[in-house]
Amino acid sequence: MSTHTPPRYPFAWTPPMQMPEALKDVHESSAMEVTLPSGDTATLVTRYQDVRALFADKRLSRNIARPDCARISKDNDLFMDPHIDPDPPKHTQVRSLVTKAFTARRIESLRPYVQEVADELLDEMAAGPRPAELNEAFAFPLPIKVICKLLGVPAEDRDQFRGYVDGFLAVTKLPPEEIGRARQNLWKYLGDLIEDKRKHPADDLISEFIRVRDEDDNRMNEHELHFWCQGLLIAGYVTTASQIGTGTAVLLHRPDLVREIQADWSLVPSTVEELLRTQIMGSSVGTMRYAIEDIPLSDGTVIKKGTSVLLSEEGANCDPRVFDKPFELDIRRQENHHMTFGAGIHYCVGAALARMELQIATESLLRRFPDIHLAKPAESLPRALGGFMEGFTEIPVDW
Amino acid sequence: MRVVANSATCAVSSLCVYRLPGVFDQDEEGLVLVLDEHPDTGLHEEVRRAVRACPTNSIRVVENG
Repeated sequence: MSTHTPPRYPFAWTPPMQMPEALKDVHESSAMEVTLPSGDTATLVTRYQDVRALFADKRLSRNIARPDCARISKDNDLFMDPHIDPDPPKHTQVRSLVTKAFTARRIESLRPYVQEVADELLDEMAAGPRPAELNEAFAFPLPIKVICKLLGVPAEDRDQFRGYVDGFLAVTKLPPEEIGRARQNLWKYLGDLIEDKRKHPADDLISEFIRVRDEDDNRMNEHELHFWCQGLLIAGYVTTASQIGTGTAVLLHRPDLVREIQADWSLVPSTVEELLRTQIMGSSVGTMRYAIEDIPLSDGTVIKKGTSVLLSEEGANCDPRVFDKPFELDIRRQENHHMTFGAGIHYCVGAALARMELQIATESLLRRFPDIHLAKPAESLPRALGGFMEGFTEIPVDW
Repeated sequence: MRVVANSATCAVSSLCVYRLPGVFDQDEEGLVLVLDEHPDTGLHEEVRRAVRACPTNSIRVVENG
């Protein structure tokens, strides 16, 4: 009798600056079985063609609060809320409210503010001790200030909610009671904030949500309002912060590329895309889906109804059928249609905002500190383990 | 070439608007609008790139259209 256990997922980063070795063989077939941190198994879809098609496939439900759906963590109900329907048509109603606030015009109107915050933080960094720790000095405060402004969350509360969010996103690194406490605290924090905004509405997204919800209970009930505000706050900074820090660390590991960019600033956007392609911050455990019908894949195999499915963004992003020399960092890469923001109706609503923040962060940092470099060997930078985000926990830099 | 967009499937990635602001725009909701159905020949390759990049396949071109 076979006692074969599917490989563990997320794959380990080896060595810290390169994409996981395990990704090199994942394109032999369209999908593979993996074992999650909870011990449950799921099907990981790995080929670009299949990942992109499945992101847009209605036969995959995002509703994973089902008794027979695989769990990411034993100790945390990550993304499982039985009171939320994340599929159309309900999802469409909520999403259109959010996308209205994330149109190109609205994002561009924030550009001067993002630049101003970046410059302020770099001033403080220049005046502070060396080496500086990039996460705390720059990578986290920048997106936190931006999302706080957009949503109407007081930026001075950030130490408070950051601790809760860290627990909220824990997979194995904290005991279950601590995760539960963090989740409760975060929920209460947002509940209090929503009540406060109801009394004192302002020109921000949470006030706008409250206005819509209070006009039309069918569009969004109180629980949904609460849930989506929480989702925007978390997704609005954790991902971007992790990407600024880790992407910059990877770039500083390659001083030759830094010099190329400093000689031609028009390379910033394609550099940002390439760092997004090669440095996925949270593996793909957040893409958990549930097959509500059988789904055939490009290699002829079929995902059976009732299967728990993960769409491997990082697998798609290094598929040699689509990306030439996929494991090389090419800051001039064209046609870089990576899957880091997904595809289809759930495409990341914050992608344009994230791109703008990443471009401003990268260029401002390299202009302000022309000689910036890692103050520790790249191999010794610690990666975050046991949580939903897998960036570096400490990035000492000097200039 | 003629540029055609389907706002019903648009997910507001804004990729096309950033790539070709003279060809694509967004309505109040952020959904795709075509500003220039018949862009200059010099832009055709960039339009085809925008078509390939769209995460919801909401834009297409009709060649010789």
